[in-house]
Amino acid sequence: MSYQIAKTITNILSGTGVLVVYLFYVSNRYQAGLLAMDELQSWSQIMLIFIGIGIAVAILVQIIFHILFSIGMAVNQSIKNGNCNDQDLEKTIKMEMVEDEMGKLIELKSMRVSYITVGIGFVASLALLFFDYSAFIALNVLFASFYTGGILDGFTQLYYYKRGV
Amino acid sequence: MGKQFEITNNVRKLRFFNDEMTQQQLAEKAEVSRQTIIAIEGGKYSPSLELAFRIAHAFGVQINDVFDYRVTEK
Repeated sequence: MSYQIAKTITNILSGTGVLVVYLFYVSNRYQAGLLAMDELQSWSQIMLIFIGIGIAVAILVQIIFHILFSIGMAVNQSIKNGNCNDQDLEKTIKMEMVEDEMGKLIELKSMRVSYITVGIGFVASLALLFFDYSAFIALNVLFASFYTGGILDGFTQLYYYKRGV
Repeated sequence: MGKQFEITNNVRKLRFFNDEMTQQQLAEKAEVSRQTIIAIEGGKYSPSLELAFRIAHAFGVQINDVFDYRVTEK
């Protein structure tokens, strides 16, 4: 598995994880009667906290992933060559992590999917408000569309890496 | 009747005839990721002109020795 594919899978997993935890947390609090539909201040507070958590988790997961990836490369080099030279290892890691034209093209295409998803989420939330649904539903649809956009971005990248551009 | 354009390449063959150069080694020489070399070799990605030249340069051959452009009638 190449660095790009492994990194994309890690991003998908961390994004999905945060979204699942958010849905679990919110449904638990809602069912326990700790949150009402019209408490927009509380909903926005929770969402802001989860945006922060999402960013922190994404950074943490990336750090852990890069550490594990580097260890994996070092082990791989040791098995191949019998020893692990720091300079060679650094060069190999740099080469694996290089962002080239194909990576940039895939990123652009997947970003388009992400924007479309967020756009659909935004329009859907406005439509929900128009049809007299509560603001809490519209807010949650908007919030979920941001995370879904991120997850779909990852899946699109995987698709293009496997199928080609 | 329409025309179909296809870009084929000899990267795999050229790697073999260059001391069985690995995809990683070619990626290093062309300054791209191994993933990109895999995609080019498998015909899943058509590189930019600049990258095509870099790959040809890595093998020490002309660009048309690496890539071939075919037009076929559908």
